[in-house]
Amino acid sequence: MKKRHQQKLIVLSILLLCMFNIPILLIFNNSVTFMGFPLIYFYIFFVWIASIVISYIILKKYYE
Amino acid sequence: MSSFLVISIIIIYLAVIFYVAYWAEKNSKSKWVNNPYVYTLSLAVYCTAWTYYGSVGLAATSGLKFLTIYLGPIIIIPSWIILMRKIIRISKGNKISSLADFISLRYGNDRFLGALVTLICVFAIVPYISLQLKAISETFNVITNHNIGGNSIIDDTTFYIAILLAIFAAFFGTQHTDATERHKGIITAVALESVIKLVFFLAIGIYVTFYLFNGPVDIYNKASLLPDFKQQQSINGLEGGFNWFFLSLLSMIAIMLLPRQFQVTVVENEREKYLKKVTWLFPLYLLLFNIFVIFIAWGGNIIFQNQGVDADLFTLMLPLKNNHEFLALLVFLGGFSAAISMVVVSTLTLSTMLSNNLIIPYGFLSKYSKGESEQNSGSIKKIRRVSIFSLIIVAYFFYKYFTLDRSLVSIGLISFVIIAQLAPSFFGGLFWRRGSSKGSKYGIFVGFFVAIYTLVIPFAIDSQLITSSFVNEGLFGVNLLKPYELFGIQILEPVPHAFFWSLFLNIITYTITSVNIVGKYRERNFAEMFVDSSKYAALHENAYVWKGEAYVKDLRKVLTRFLGEKRTERALNLFYMKYDIDKNSPYADARLVNFSEKLLTGSIGSASSRILIASVVKEEEISLTEVLSILEETQKAKESNKELHERDKQKNEFLDTVAHELKTPITSIRALSEILLDNDDVDNLTKKKFLTSILKESERVSRLINNILDLEKLATGKEKLELKQHSIKKTIQKSIDAVTQFAENHRIYINSEGVNDAEIMYDDDRIQQVIINLLSNAIKFSNKEKGKVSIFTYINQNKIEVSVEDNGKGIGKEDLIYIFNKFYQAKNQTILKPVGSGLGLAISKQIIESHNGIIWAENRNPQGARLTFALPFKTNTI
Repeated sequence: MKKRHQQKLIVLSILLLCMFNIPILLIFNNSVTFMGFPLIYFYIFFVWIASIVISYIILKKYYE
Repeated sequence: MSSFLVISIIIIYLAVIFYVAYWAEKNSKSKWVNNPYVYTLSLAVYCTAWTYYGSVGLAATSGLKFLTIYLGPIIIIPSWIILMRKIIRISKGNKISSLADFISLRYGNDRFLGALVTLICVFAIVPYISLQLKAISETFNVITNHNIGGNSIIDDTTFYIAILLAIFAAFFGTQHTDATERHKGIITAVALESVIKLVFFLAIGIYVTFYLFNGPVDIYNKASLLPDFKQQQSINGLEGGFNWFFLSLLSMIAIMLLPRQFQVTVVENEREKYLKKVTWLFPLYLLLFNIFVIFIAWGGNIIFQNQGVDADLFTLMLPLKNNHEFLALLVFLGGFSAAISMVVVSTLTLSTMLSNNLIIPYGFLSKYSKGESEQNSGSIKKIRRVSIFSLIIVAYFFYKYFTLDRSLVSIGLISFVIIAQLAPSFFGGLFWRRGSSKGSKYGIFVGFFVAIYTLVIPFAIDSQLITSSFVNEGLFGVNLLKPYELFGIQILEPVPHAFFWSLFLNIITYTITSVNIVGKYRERNFAEMFVDSSKYAALHENAYVWKGEAYVKDLRKVLTRFLGEKRTERALNLFYMKYDIDKNSPYADARLVNFSEKLLTGSIGSASSRILIASVVKEEEISLTEVLSILEETQKAKESNKELHERDKQKNEFLDTVAHELKTPITSIRALSEILLDNDDVDNLTKKKFLTSILKESERVSRLINNILDLEKLATGKEKLELKQHSIKKTIQKSIDAVTQFAENHRIYINSEGVNDAEIMYDDDRIQQVIINLLSNAIKFSNKEKGKVSIFTYINQNKIEVSVEDNGKGIGKEDLIYIFNKFYQAKNQTILKPVGSGLGLAISKQIIESHNGIIWAENRNPQGARLTFALPFKTNTI
């Protein structure tokens, strides 16, 4: 795997660190519900799934 | 459910697990055992009984917070592609068998540090193992409807389960003396259990969500009516945010540094590329495990509202309350799997640490240095087995005689905080050369005591119901020393609070000590090897600097004591072959010393192997600067070796081609001369024809030789250019005149209308040579029917460009760069007889470059090629 593509994953890590922590997390920390759910659960699980898909795609494409 | 039934099911289940492990050990080469899926699933040993029951408990009482334990791993795992790969490579290169080995080796084979890390791990993990036993026992009681387990050990089912687990771990964990050998049996069993726990947990999740309730929305609507609900499902502002941050940081460290995680991820790693699967599959596994947690928690909160049911047991109580005993049994088995895989892997790795980093280096070394190989390896295995049993038994008594009355989560988190004390030394050692063993030791000490003070002592006071003013008023009644609010920080909860303070002081101590005290040369050597692992990995044994006197005979003796006659012989043979060393030389060099150390490391740990090897060799002290300069030299030598090799190869290729090029004409000259010599009756016409051929071929040879000489002169700068002011137009005209005949033969018209004049410094003869070469090439490759070659110039303030174009079929795209190489003849020419010597363009390039100019080739639209060279006006060449 080329260094550039490895660094994509590192960037993903850093991004996740920010997305899963304050202050970004606090944006979704309100009483709004989405389909009858607290928004924050949706947010967390959505980012979680997105990270799985993204790392899957990066590795599938660039891992030699 | 009757306890007899449950016990028999447990026994059947354990039998299956034993069988699977046994099968895997027997078929260790099978693709069912060696694949990235088994590896990924074995990592799921992270999800213990705590995840299984405790997550639900935590979600039920404090909502969101349970997620932090899994978000840490999710955040850090993508970076494993660099981070974990580095750790795995270092560990494999140095035969590292545990976390303690890793840290002790990094800081120069430090025996004390290895022992310290081992003790910290034991201290952190044994209560954690107790926790798993507690989970087994509690859930067993719930499912069999006992209120309390047997008070005496003889009646306690958990005791027998613990013993069975110890047998399992001891049997499959100590098949080899070398602890870096993979434990295929255990890993396969753990992977299977990971599947089981996930499937059963998903089953209960679906059951609660869709059977007991009408889907997620229904649960949410009902749960939202509960008191405190809103507050639980959100983060409590900035304060909550800080707690959240520290907890996710904590779990980030835990996924890498928990001894059992290190074991399954690093030591049991068969192939590096398995990381590819782990990076996305493991987060997916965790996602599946967590997706139903809140629903079970909410469901439990709704159904058991105000009934005083322990939230940790919701998972089990929900099906029991609705009389679905079979489902409850599945849940129990899932939790049981989660618990036993954690117990087995943890005791395995702790026993390796205990034997290799504590017991052997501090007690058995002198005995081993006299024993025979079979005795020694038997004794090493025995130490590990005894360690496994003692660990499990100590954990059992801990669970039995200390009231572990807190929820599962809190004890688990305390373990995390203690393990986190190793993080500065570990990650610092990985990325920071100067991190020293003294810094590491002091840092760990400080961090550990802070963690004890702020977390373990108050927790023990709470859970053992000791009355003390310590927690509420602080040590000696000093408010600033309150363990949960050290120095008056009030916003953090106990665990994040302890984590913050201990790690903060740990890091400060580690860094300050490291920058203030110069480390020994040995640890600096290893520091270089760890930090710059990719650079030094290629050097293998050469990366280790050692000076002194050593004899092969002595080293061989030591190795034989542990590996036996045969394996020692084999290993040494391989070593001699790799480095091409004379087998009969009695002296051992640094490489052999290092190689021997590595060989022993797997069996007895890095510190012991260092001590043992040091006892038979005479090592001279070297200064730190010397170590560094030697390392640099080896590095450079390696690189220049590569360069020399490359150059050698080029030269060989060149000679090959030259020989070949010379051979063809000479063969035909020889053949023709032989015919003429042997046959007197050759008629005159044929004779003349033959002689013409001979003449032509000899011209070709001499041209080739001249060209080679030319090239050589130009390349080595032996020939001086006669630089004078010349008119480029005149030079071009002279060149055209030289090829006019040749062009007419090919019926090609040379167009020189675009040539302008300028005066510039160059060697007239040489530039003519270049232009003639370009022109004759262009003529040769022009269109056969309507051939047209044009030459033109482009002049600006800095340079003159001279271009020669033809209207032939152009140059293959892949050839554009290579046509200037020696003997490079485009692909399509190999069938035909090559036109020219193959050196013309190489010489032209050489000439232009010695004028500080450049030459290049490009294709024209729609067809044809253009070769251009540029000469600068200001030339500095001689």
